[in-house]
Amino acid sequence: MESLSVHNISKKYKRHTALKDISFTMAPGEFLSILGPSGCGKTTLLRILIGLLAPDEGRILLNGQDITHAPCDQRSMGIVFQNYALFEHMTVLKNVEYALRFHKESKAHARETALHMLEQVGLSAHIGKYPRELSGGQQQRAAIARTLALSPSILLLDEPMSALDAANRLSLQEELKRIQHKSGTAMIYITHDQEEAFALSDRIIVMGSSVIHQIDTPQNILKDPADAYVREFVYDNLNKKLSMLAKFEDILI
Amino acid sequence: MLKQERRTLDAIRTLTGCFFVAAVILPLLRLLIHFHQADIAAIFSKPMVAQSLAHSVAVSLCATIISVLLALTAAWCMARTTICGKHIFHGVLLFPMLIPSLSHGMSLIILWGSNGVLTRFLGASEGIYGFWGIVAGSVMYSFPVAYLMLLDILRYEDFTPYEEAAVLGIPRWRKFTAISFPYLRKPLLNVLFATFTMIVTDYGVALMVGGTFKTLPVIMYEEVIGRQDFVQGSVFGVILLIPAVIAFFSDLLCKSNASETFLSKPFVVQKSPKANAASYVFLTLTAVCALIPILSFAILTFANRYPRDMSFTMRHITASIQKDVMGYLGNSVIMALCTALIGTITAFFCGYFTARMPGRSCRFLHLMSTLSLAVPGIVLGLSYVMFFKSTWLYGTMAILVLVNIVHFFSPPYLMIYHSMGKINPNLEAVGASLGIGRLRMLRGIFVPQTALTLFEMFSYFFVNSMMTISAVAFLSNAATKPVALMINQFEAQMMLEASAFISLLIWGINLAMKALASCLAHKIKVKERQ
Repeated sequence: MESLSVHNISKKYKRHTALKDISFTMAPGEFLSILGPSGCGKTTLLRILIGLLAPDEGRILLNGQDITHAPCDQRSMGIVFQNYALFEHMTVLKNVEYALRFHKESKAHARETALHMLEQVGLSAHIGKYPRELSGGQQQRAAIARTLALSPSILLLDEPMSALDAANRLSLQEELKRIQHKSGTAMIYITHDQEEAFALSDRIIVMGSSVIHQIDTPQNILKDPADAYVREFVYDNLNKKLSMLAKFEDILI
Repeated sequence: MLKQERRTLDAIRTLTGCFFVAAVILPLLRLLIHFHQADIAAIFSKPMVAQSLAHSVAVSLCATIISVLLALTAAWCMARTTICGKHIFHGVLLFPMLIPSLSHGMSLIILWGSNGVLTRFLGASEGIYGFWGIVAGSVMYSFPVAYLMLLDILRYEDFTPYEEAAVLGIPRWRKFTAISFPYLRKPLLNVLFATFTMIVTDYGVALMVGGTFKTLPVIMYEEVIGRQDFVQGSVFGVILLIPAVIAFFSDLLCKSNASETFLSKPFVVQKSPKANAASYVFLTLTAVCALIPILSFAILTFANRYPRDMSFTMRHITASIQKDVMGYLGNSVIMALCTALIGTITAFFCGYFTARMPGRSCRFLHLMSTLSLAVPGIVLGLSYVMFFKSTWLYGTMAILVLVNIVHFFSPPYLMIYHSMGKINPNLEAVGASLGIGRLRMLRGIFVPQTALTLFEMFSYFFVNSMMTISAVAFLSNAATKPVALMINQFEAQMMLEASAFISLLIWGINLAMKALASCLAHKIKVKERQ
C-alpha cells in the first residue's frame, strides 16, 4: 500500500512558476530524497507538503486521505529545518516535551516519551543542556527527536546537514539511517548535495527548475539518466568528485 | 484550534491598526486642518513670533553643536580607550536623562541664577538667564541621548578595515580620513538632526531660564495653555514638525544603507596611557557636571536656608507634602506604570506582527510605529487637545497614558522588532507542524525569549513618562497633573525647595527603575550563561 501520493501539484508566485505538475508516490518507511540546485522549487514543494503553503492545483493523499488543505498539525508530518529551530530557552528535554503537552493523547506520557525519544537519538547524556550548549549535530538530533516524539507518518528534512562540517556530516548520515531504521518513519530528505542523496536514499527525485526530471533508485539514475540535465547534474558531478579522489586511490584503500 | 488562534491574532492586529488611526493619524489631521485655517502671514507679522523663531534656531544650533561634540568625545573615551570604571562613568553620564528638562532649568537657577551659589562665588552681577542659560540647560538635557546614539555607532564600527590598513602600512591620519570619517559621516548627521529636534521642541529649559528670551515652544506653551489659541498653536506645531520630519527621514536613509546581516569584527582597542589619562580627566569633568544638578537639588531640599544656613532639615519636604506633592507624584507613578504596561504589551504585539507575520497590513503597522518618532511631544499634545477636546477622554488619566504611549512608542517598538527578527524564522512553521498554535507560541516561546527586551521596553516607557513635560502639559488638569509639571509652578510661587524636592524624587524613582531593569537583565544573562 502506498503511503503518500502527490498528484499534479502546481504553484505560481505572481508570474514565476515555482512548481509545475509535480507527481510522485512514496511507500511506508521509505527514504526519499528530493535533489536539485537552489531555486528549483524543492523548498516550495516541502512547504506545500507540510501545509505551510497551499498549491494552486493538485492533490496530496496520505494513506488514501486527501490532506491537500488540511492544517499543518493534522497531516501527521513532522519537519526538521536546516537551522533546527529549537526553543532556545528550554533544555533539550523540555524542547521534546513541550509539544507533547498540547496533545491529549500524548500529554500523560510526555516525559516518558521524550526520554525514550532522546535515548533513541543518542542524546540521553545531554537532556539537561540548552540548545546553545550542544554541537550542531546534537542540535539536529534534538530537533529530530522533538519531531519524532509526535510519531508522524512522514518526517521532512530540509537540508539538515548544510550547517555542519564535513566530518560531522558523514557520521550524522549514518546516525540518520540508524534512527530511521529504528523508528520506521518514512523520510523525505531535501538536499542539493548529490553525495548525500546517493548515500542515504532508497529513491531519489531529481528536480530542475520547477519540474521533476527523474524518480528512481540511485543505481538506476546513474545507470540510466532520464535526460541531459540529470546526466550533467548527477552523473557528471559525481564523476568529477570520483576522479578527483581517484588520485589518492592507492593511499586511501 | 490553530485557525481559531489565527483569527484571534488577526483581530488583535486589526485593533492595533485602529489604535494607530485613532491615536496618530486623526489627531495629526486635525492639527493640519487647523493649520490650513490659520492666517500665517498675520501670525508671522507679529515681531514676537518671528523673533522667537530666530531665537529657537540660534539656541538650538549652538546647543546641538556643543552637545554632540561633548557626546562624541565621551563616547570615544568609552569605546576607544582601556580606562577602568567605564560602568560607573556610563551610569553617571546618563543621570541627566532621568530628570525633566524643567529640572535642568531649575538646577541652572540654583547654581547660576541671580542668587545662585556659583554666581555669588564668582562674584558675577547677573545670573545665566537668556541665550546662554538655555544653551547650557539644553546641552545638559540632550547630552545623554546624543552620547548613547554615538556610543552605539562607535561600538559597532567594523575593525576589519583598520586591520587591512595596518597591514598595508597606511598612516594614522589617513586612517581617520579614509575609514573613520566616512563611516561616521552619515550617522553623525543623523545624531545632529535628532539632537537638534530634541532641543528645538523643548520648552522646559527656556521656560525656566529664558527670561525675556523666548523660544517658539515657550510661546506655543503660553498661547495654547494660557490663551487657548489653537489655530496659532497649530502653526507653531507644524513649524516644529519640520525638523522632526527631516530627522525621521535622515534616520530612515541612514538605516536603509546599513545591511543588517553584515557581520562585523569588534573594534580592538590598543592601550594608550595618554589617551587614558585624557579620558579620565574628560569623563570625570563630564560626570561631575552630570552630578551637579542632582547635588544641587539635594542641597536645596535638605539645607535649612540655602545658601546661608546649611544645617539639615526636613521642613521643606514637610512643606512640599502639605502642598500635595505626594498626590501629584501618585498621578505620575500611576500614569507611568499604565503607560509602561500597556505600551509594552502594544509594542510587543506590534513587533510580533511586523517581524513575524509579514504582509501589507504589517507595513502599515511598521510605518505607524516608527512614525511617532517624527512627532515631537509638544505637537502631539496639541493635536490631542484639538482632536479629543469634546470627547469623554479629555481631562482623564487615560488620555495622558494614551499620549505617552504614542509619544514614546518608537524606541521600544524597534527594540522588540529587532529582537523578534533575530529569533529563528522557522519557529512558527515548526510550531504549526507540532500542533502548537501562534498564541501558545507567543506565550511559551516568544515572551521568554524576548524577556530581556521586554524589561528594557517597560523601563523606557516608565522613565520617560515619569519625566515628560511636553505632551502632558496640554492634556492634564488639576486632578491628573503629573508631578513633573509642578516644577515650574512651585518655582513661580517662589517655592524653589519644593521644585528641587520633586526633581530629586523623579530622579530617585527613575534611577530605581533603571537599576531594577538592569538587575533583572543581569539575572537573565547569568542564567543564560550557566
